[in-house]
Amino acid sequence: MTPIGLRARVSAAFAIGALLLSACVTVVSYELIRNTLFAERERTAVRATYFDAAIVTADVAGADPELGEVLRGLDTGADRYVLLHRDGRWYSRSAEPVSETTVPARLQAMTAGGQAGAQRVSRDGQPALIIGVPLPGDMTFYEIVSLRELERTLQLLALVLTAVAIMVAAGGAAVGWYVTRHALRPLAAVAGAARGIAAGDLATRLDPDTEPDLAVLSEAFNDMAGQLSRRRERDRRFAADVSHELRSPLQTLEAAVSVLERRKDRLDERSASAVGLIAAEVERFQALVNDLLELARSDQPVHREPVVIAELLRGICRSRGLEADLVAIVPGTPEVWTVDRRRVEQALGNLIDNAIRYGGGPVAVRAGRTSDGLASDDFFLEVDDAGPGIDEVDRPTIFDRFVRGPAAGARGAGDGTGLGLAIVAEHAAAHGGRAQVSDRPGGGARFRLELPGSV
Amino acid sequence: MTAVLLIEDDDRIRLSLTMALEDEGYTAYAVATGEEGIAEQRRRRADTVLVDLMLPGMDGYECIRQLRRDDDVPIVVVSARDDTHDIVAALEAGADDYVVKPVRVKELAARLRALRRRARTVLAPVTSVLTFGALEIRPEAGEVRLDGVAVAVTRTEFRLLCELAEHPGLVLSRQQLLQRVWEYEFGDERVVDVHVGRLRQKIEADTARPRHLVTVRGLGYKLQP
Repeated sequence: MTPIGLRARVSAAFAIGALLLSACVTVVSYELIRNTLFAERERTAVRATYFDAAIVTADVAGADPELGEVLRGLDTGADRYVLLHRDGRWYSRSAEPVSETTVPARLQAMTAGGQAGAQRVSRDGQPALIIGVPLPGDMTFYEIVSLRELERTLQLLALVLTAVAIMVAAGGAAVGWYVTRHALRPLAAVAGAARGIAAGDLATRLDPDTEPDLAVLSEAFNDMAGQLSRRRERDRRFAADVSHELRSPLQTLEAAVSVLERRKDRLDERSASAVGLIAAEVERFQALVNDLLELARSDQPVHREPVVIAELLRGICRSRGLEADLVAIVPGTPEVWTVDRRRVEQALGNLIDNAIRYGGGPVAVRAGRTSDGLASDDFFLEVDDAGPGIDEVDRPTIFDRFVRGPAAGARGAGDGTGLGLAIVAEHAAAHGGRAQVSDRPGGGARFRLELPGSV
Repeated sequence: MTAVLLIEDDDRIRLSLTMALEDEGYTAYAVATGEEGIAEQRRRRADTVLVDLMLPGMDGYECIRQLRRDDDVPIVVVSARDDTHDIVAALEAGADDYVVKPVRVKELAARLRALRRRARTVLAPVTSVLTFGALEIRPEAGEVRLDGVAVAVTRTEFRLLCELAEHPGLVLSRQQLLQRVWEYEFGDERVVDVHVGRLRQKIEADTARPRHLVTVRGLGYKLQP
């Protein structure tokens, strides 16, 4: 599972914080408004009830009227319902009998004790308020006030407040997202610098002054980059020193062996064959030193320059005594490529040398661009050979250092350094490409060197 | 017999190369320092100088500069260093060619022969003149004049200029120039670039915007009026 990102976490924290805060405000304000509204409503209802109770008292005090008639005379509106209780009987405005349970027992007991009172009840599933007022003559006047309107208002209020709370939370998340984008912007600079260093530009540094809060990070980063470049420089100098130290004795060997070889016919047979061995090994040793140095330096940045690719390929072929007409340029390929001439020369030279050594000789040296039409600047060089091809199982490791294919082994490992293809792969990587091997249609191996961005 | 001066501080390399060069038919004078080399060259002029870059005392670059100040003897650097920086610096100091140790004796001999041929081509006395604006080249007389004033060029620079002058307005690639001037089958194009740079300093008013010896991007060089 991928861990949740910093931005997502900060945004979530902002959202939760905003939600909690707005929820508190909402709940508190809802309760306050609700209590205020209920109290207000209750006061109004009580006032109306006393007023009505006074009317009823006055009406009843006259003759002996029909009590239902008296109640009907009250102006109660739609949301009030009045009841009168006398001598254990209930009277209402309608003729229907009144249920015993309409008025809660507790309120009845309270009014029976001569006290006025109010109680909130649920009537037909609707909230309501019952107010009881004891009247002279052992009567009790009740008024039931529907609180439905008030309840609706409160529901609406709750809805609005909830919506506001959610919006505030969303706003918090948005603020978090926005703020982290700004907070993370200096980190993008760090990432860019790190990419620069990874790409080989060791001079990349961050300016600690642009973002004072990240100065520690910038300084640590710069320190790291500095150490890296010092170490790289040390390695580079080491490679140069090694080159000098190994090449000088090799020069002596080379010159001395050539003196000996010139006099080979004057040596006895054993000495002559020993000289031959030394000469061959000196040559191999030279190749090995050159290849090792090449690998040691292969992480240096490429020096791209415009190169007429066909001429380069023909030159490489000529230098190996091959016909220049081996070179084929795929139609539609630009003439001039921007590549590191030395590296391409060496990589392709290694492929051709391998083809000569193990592949029965190159049958084609090709330059072209990939034809998938998407990656329009994917350029490649290919060397086809007439050998047995490369086994599927050997392909993943064939570009590793000191890995020799079975073809090389069968030849007694006499020539070759085991580094040729590793250098090819390094040079391809330096250009941002890859080295690959596949089957040539019709037999043999096809080595391909990808050089993206060559034009 | 062709005489070669070898300036090399490593005793064993000096000894073995001397023997190998003698096998190839050269007379070799060998010295261990740049100072000795310059003195030796003044005393007994060799036809070609081989010089190492890492020398005690005066380094190879300074040695090349001083040799070059004296005359246009072909100078070949034989060094274990193969950084672009070192190669370009040596060529800019005035070297004609650069080989990296360990060099095969046969290859070294081939380079020396090519340099000698280059040096000899200027000796035949014919008087044709190739004119490119204010620039006058007399291939057979070995003369270059700019606004009528003689310009001192080395033999390699002269061969390079003649090669371009003989193909007026035509672009010659670096590889073609390497083959024709240095007789390389295939070689290091930086040698050409540095020689072109050196020539420009001698024949161009503004080396950043050359009028005669112009670069054709990706293709090579051409000479124009």
